[in-house]
Amino acid sequence: MRRLALVLAAMLGIASSVVTAQAQDKFPTKPIKIVLAYGPGSATDIITRIMCEQLRQILGQSCVVDNKPGAFGILAIEDMARARPDGYTLQVGNVSTNAITPVLFKDKFSINYEKDVVPIARLAELPTFLMVTTKDFAPKTLAEFVAYAKQHPGKLKYASPGAGSFPHYDTEILSRRAGIEMVAIHIKAGPPGYINDMVKGDIQFAFMNVATSAPQIKAGTLRPLAVITDKRLSDYPDVPTMAEVGFPGVGTTLWAGLFAPAGTPPEVQQTLQKAVVQTLNTPQVLDAFTKQNIQSRPNASLAEAKTWLAGEIANWQKISKEVKIDLTD
Amino acid sequence: MGDFFSNLALGFGIALTPMNLGYALVGCLVGTLIGVLPGIGPIATVAMLLPITFHLEPVSGLIMLAGIFYGAQYGGSTTAILVNLPGETSSVVTCIDGHQMARQGRAGAALAIAALGSFFAGCFSTALIAMFSPPLAIVGQSFGAPEYFSLLVLGLVAAVVLAHGSVIKAIAMVVLGLLLGLVGTDGNTGAQRFSFDIIILSDGIGFVPLAVGVFGLGEIIANLMAPEQQRTIVQEKISRLWPTMQDFRQAWPAVLRGTALGSILGVLPGGGATLSSFASYVLEKKVARDPSRFGKGAIEGVAGPESANNAGAQTSFIPMLTLGIPGNAVMALMIGALTIHGIQPGPQVMTERPDLFWGMVASMWIGNLMLVIINLPLIGIWVQLLKVPYRLLNLAILLFCAIGVYTVNNSAFEIMLTALFGVLGYVFMKLECEPAPMLLGFILGPLMEENLRRAMRIASGDPMIFIQRPISLGLLIATVLLLLIVALPAIRSKREEAFQEN
Repeated sequence: MRRLALVLAAMLGIASSVVTAQAQDKFPTKPIKIVLAYGPGSATDIITRIMCEQLRQILGQSCVVDNKPGAFGILAIEDMARARPDGYTLQVGNVSTNAITPVLFKDKFSINYEKDVVPIARLAELPTFLMVTTKDFAPKTLAEFVAYAKQHPGKLKYASPGAGSFPHYDTEILSRRAGIEMVAIHIKAGPPGYINDMVKGDIQFAFMNVATSAPQIKAGTLRPLAVITDKRLSDYPDVPTMAEVGFPGVGTTLWAGLFAPAGTPPEVQQTLQKAVVQTLNTPQVLDAFTKQNIQSRPNASLAEAKTWLAGEIANWQKISKEVKIDLTD
Repeated sequence: MGDFFSNLALGFGIALTPMNLGYALVGCLVGTLIGVLPGIGPIATVAMLLPITFHLEPVSGLIMLAGIFYGAQYGGSTTAILVNLPGETSSVVTCIDGHQMARQGRAGAALAIAALGSFFAGCFSTALIAMFSPPLAIVGQSFGAPEYFSLLVLGLVAAVVLAHGSVIKAIAMVVLGLLLGLVGTDGNTGAQRFSFDIIILSDGIGFVPLAVGVFGLGEIIANLMAPEQQRTIVQEKISRLWPTMQDFRQAWPAVLRGTALGSILGVLPGGGATLSSFASYVLEKKVARDPSRFGKGAIEGVAGPESANNAGAQTSFIPMLTLGIPGNAVMALMIGALTIHGIQPGPQVMTERPDLFWGMVASMWIGNLMLVIINLPLIGIWVQLLKVPYRLLNLAILLFCAIGVYTVNNSAFEIMLTALFGVLGYVFMKLECEPAPMLLGFILGPLMEENLRRAMRIASGDPMIFIQRPISLGLLIATVLLLLIVALPAIRSKREEAFQEN
């Protein structure tokens, strides 16, 4: 079976190279640069590097990751949008940089994000847990948690990586729907910076991705109350979804996506999209993703990717109008 | 105890396989290299090599990544001593006395003491990890935001003794550092501070442009101001490569103190290891019989901090290995490297995967031995480097600085920022203002602010939290005592001066 697959792949490879050789400019003929909105070692970075390894097998060209973190992702996005639109400069970002920043910091861009940037594909999603401490803290379900919070208004603290970050919005939305009141503690370093405060019981609550939470769940120092995915996770069959516990739609799915300058030729966009879908379905990528608790989620087509991004941006326009967070300028 | 030795035997059995020895060597070499080059640091390197470890045995991958991390601590001192260029936060204080030693022709001695001190510290702290990981991890865990804030207050007060000139100037430099540290986005409100609508500044000023500019470039400008002959005299004075007996006698107590201090601070979450070299320098100056030698090439000022930062780098593995809590960004990456193999760092690791834990502990010891073997012969080559005519050397340094600064965030703006800080560094030199206290303020400022605000929120705005928590209270008492110790002789000497004038 495996050999058959190899033979098929080889034949397809020959066939496709014949086809592309006939085309006037076969893409790609040189390495592809991927501008990354985060520093090395971030979840987005790890997703990109895992993908890049396999993408090289499929496209026949390597991709070079160019980490350009900062300014809410604006630096990386503008760098890509201003590059020559030939498919050799792409950008990887996540829900923060490529859906929330364009809404919250629209006037900080010197490009028109919605006109100048097109999505090639969503790449992957990171499931997120709603985590609480177990130190001197009794609630074991979200219902118990809400009841506890109502008895102790304003006493519970939650952690977020910064004002205006999506865990900040998520917790505010949850608080509203549940009718509870919690105090936000913003810690720039993100979960590595606040796990200890939670284990100590100084902070009781946070939205945290599965990869970061796993060691603490296993040690029993933190407890997952719910997961924000549509279905329960196979590794954590006991953790209910947000819909099951009565808060459908609460919580942001952390996704990573691949973006290109809007002027990139449609056929190049097509080639890239197909290659990404193929890459993200290889056993190597699926295996590496699974071990890091990452879910492979490529869009089926370019059109679907466009609809998806437009939906994400519309959603954040709605959220930012509904929940006013004062980002004093 | 028998258990301990059988565990250690297991660890060495794993670490001494030819393959794992190879990975340790690769890690140490890469670490030394990135430590020597300014700019590119262990975080970026570990992140880039992370995908490679997916294909390795988990213990091999961990051995290599760990080697990079502590190897960088060895390498970081080299440029600090030779050309006054701190490549990592931890080597800022090494510049102060290390570079003065180089100017006096004792570069070899400074480099050798740094390597040997680091080796001792590495061995000692590895033994600590092997024997006392679980209890030490609990100590680290007891540090929450209030405790951290009090520790930082103590650190900042102690920092004033970092300077060897005027106390007023030192305080002014610390405050300037604090102000520079404020630039960027306020995490609590999202407000922009001192960013002048420059979007890149919304993330604050980076450590590398500031340190490379103020120390490295400032030094180059100052050197070029001096007449040619003076510069060559500095370089021809290199007399001997090895430390004298006198050097060893002065250095070893400093190594012991630095190791102890670094081992403790390294266990603390959130950058404890960064503090260790500063703390050690302060301690050395405080206990020295003649503190006036500091800043003029005191060997203790190299031996203590270099031992401390290496000890801190090693013990910062403890919370990661035993609790699954990453103390810094590199440790967060190591957790990533482990989870990809289906291993969850945490209390169970020692019992469920003893091969991993003990293999890594044993490899740390081997890695430290490798590093000292790599670094000692290199000293001769490094010192030869100083004989390169300065008109060529300064260009090479400038080039490496520019490349190093650029690679941190792939940002040309940071190179311009570095140039600006270079001019500032030269001005400071002319004004006889020490840059080290400024860097300290710059590093501690944001940490202090965040922990203060975090502590106040945890306590719902009640400042009593700093006194109610015993560790925090103890640290604050120590701060007051230190203030008294510093203030008393000053008051006394003021009186004497007054008498003399009469």
